[in-house]
Amino acid sequence: MLKLENLHVSIDGRLVLRGVDLEIGDGEVHVLFGPNGSGKTSLAMSILGYPGYKVISGRIIFDGVDITDKPMEERVRMGIGAVFQNPPKIYGIRLKDLIKIISKSRLNSAEISGLMDRLNIDSSLLNRYLNVGFSGGEIKRSEIAQVLAMKPKLMILDEPDSGVDLDNLQLIGRELAENFKDRSGLIITHHGYILNYVKPVKAHVMINGVIVCDGEPEKILNRIRESGYRWCRRCYEMKMSERL
Amino acid sequence: MLRDEDVRKALEKPAKYGADLDLSSYGFGEAEEFEEIDEDVSRRGMEVGVDLDRRKYLSTFLHVDYSTIYKSVQRQFKDDLELMTIDEALKKYDWVHGLLWKLRDPCEDKYTAFTALNAKGGYFMRILEGRKILIPIQACFLLFTQGIIQPVHNLIVAEPGSEAHILTGCTIHPRVTRGLHLGVTEIYVRRGAKLTYTMVHKWGPEFDVRSRTGILVADGGVFVSNYVMLGELRTFQSQPSARLVGSSSRTSMNNVVYLRGRSEMDLGGEVLLEGAGSRAEIILNSVAGDNAKITTRGRILGLADNVKGHLSCRGLMLSDGAEISTIPILESRKMNSELSHEAAIGKIAEDQLNYLIARGLSRDEAESLIVRGFLDVGRMGLPRPIEEGVRRTIELALKGF
Repeated sequence: MLKLENLHVSIDGRLVLRGVDLEIGDGEVHVLFGPNGSGKTSLAMSILGYPGYKVISGRIIFDGVDITDKPMEERVRMGIGAVFQNPPKIYGIRLKDLIKIISKSRLNSAEISGLMDRLNIDSSLLNRYLNVGFSGGEIKRSEIAQVLAMKPKLMILDEPDSGVDLDNLQLIGRELAENFKDRSGLIITHHGYILNYVKPVKAHVMINGVIVCDGEPEKILNRIRESGYRWCRRCYEMKMSERL
Repeated sequence: MLRDEDVRKALEKPAKYGADLDLSSYGFGEAEEFEEIDEDVSRRGMEVGVDLDRRKYLSTFLHVDYSTIYKSVQRQFKDDLELMTIDEALKKYDWVHGLLWKLRDPCEDKYTAFTALNAKGGYFMRILEGRKILIPIQACFLLFTQGIIQPVHNLIVAEPGSEAHILTGCTIHPRVTRGLHLGVTEIYVRRGAKLTYTMVHKWGPEFDVRSRTGILVADGGVFVSNYVMLGELRTFQSQPSARLVGSSSRTSMNNVVYLRGRSEMDLGGEVLLEGAGSRAEIILNSVAGDNAKITTRGRILGLADNVKGHLSCRGLMLSDGAEISTIPILESRKMNSELSHEAAIGKIAEDQLNYLIARGLSRDEAESLIVRGFLDVGRMGLPRPIEEGVRRTIELALKGF
């Protein structure tokens, strides 16, 4: 589904990804861990093709096609959907209007209202301007609803579980688990709460724009919970010295 | 009452804001004979949200140039509303005289002075005590003769506990290019009354407009004004001013304008919070294309205890030739008043565009959605048929966007 080969990416001349290799098979869900500022969000944005994330070298292959030089618009059309951590406020556009536009031809109105119910998005939230005055939890639910309405082949979820209370975490977790039955995904998470609901097949740890290890999600998460990312930094040093 | 001499002197006085017009460059007093509501006129009516189709129902107060053509709208609302021309009202009631020129000063500038001395027509609407009128009351001012001044003076009284929605559409016959519309409107919202006053304007590229609106809101009264102007005109200037003298009275002024061509608009809104616990919200959303120049001025004064006011001025630039200025003013004279404002001007924000593109919209679709969002009338609380009409008008104005 997705293959990253030695991907180097910069923003405003600053290198944020420094040779990332990653492969997500069809129908697989992977999880990406890493400390703040390690480049996780940059990786998500680079896969999506968000303007400003400049590929210096390496390749991005999606669904068998090299998309390294393709604009975001085309990547989205091909089936990449991503939730944003800090989506912009847009006055005048109601959440319901955007959901309707996104889901046209993909979901009928009964399916839309089912999805909204399951994510606890009521008509008052639907009638509000996009992200204007939304709480942290409302942003997450709105973002996830929008991406699910896109029915993408690959879902990239940047911190779907941060700032969400337990009740809403359960709603989101169950809905995502259901939707990951037939699509691939990359989940970025700091705390790993979402892993109580969604079971990825593989985990990766990113340090300083490099993936330093891959392995079993449960094992890696437990290790991080026990000793933080100090342990991963050692692997980073090793990895970098290997490269030299 | 009116000090004629002072008013006459004020005929030379330029307005505080907006381009200064030479009143002698327009004709006055002579109008062409208006025949019938033809297709052109009825289409124009639809564009400003009023239905002028005579066969269906005659529910509009229609004023053409200097004459009131239809006012059979009275029949439709017979027990709830008293509607007549201002001249008829002055003859019928002694007290009407005492309500005129109380909320605007005839000596304010040459436009008020001209109207005070020469007003020809305008409506008087009295929503009777405790009556709730669900159907919007429609009024339409049409300019039919090329190059003339149309000065009108309107008076609205929403009696205690009444509720109504007035929709005023102002426009010109498609063949008219030049002219000046002077509209003075004084609105009294009595105790516990709720009045929604919606104005939709459509003019032409050589047309000038000066309107002067004054509002007085009593205890627990609610005044909502909605203003929509789309397309082109030469110059426009207006700053409705509301005094919320009643305790817990409220007002909300929503303005949505989209100007093109070489249009120059100076649009404001002013609220004086004089009653304890009164509240105001002013929203001025403007979109400027081509070489249009828009100035928006909002002013809220907190003069009583526990008042709240919020002012929002947002401008969207669609062209490098356009200009938008926004001047928000907040003044407080009470420690416990809460006044705030937000203002932003710019082109369509890239992060907003990219966000929508990431959700599967094309760049063009995303741009058009953001512009339409700026012109959103959903928050105006318009009755459905009117909202649909206004949305159609916006779609028409945005054609190709």
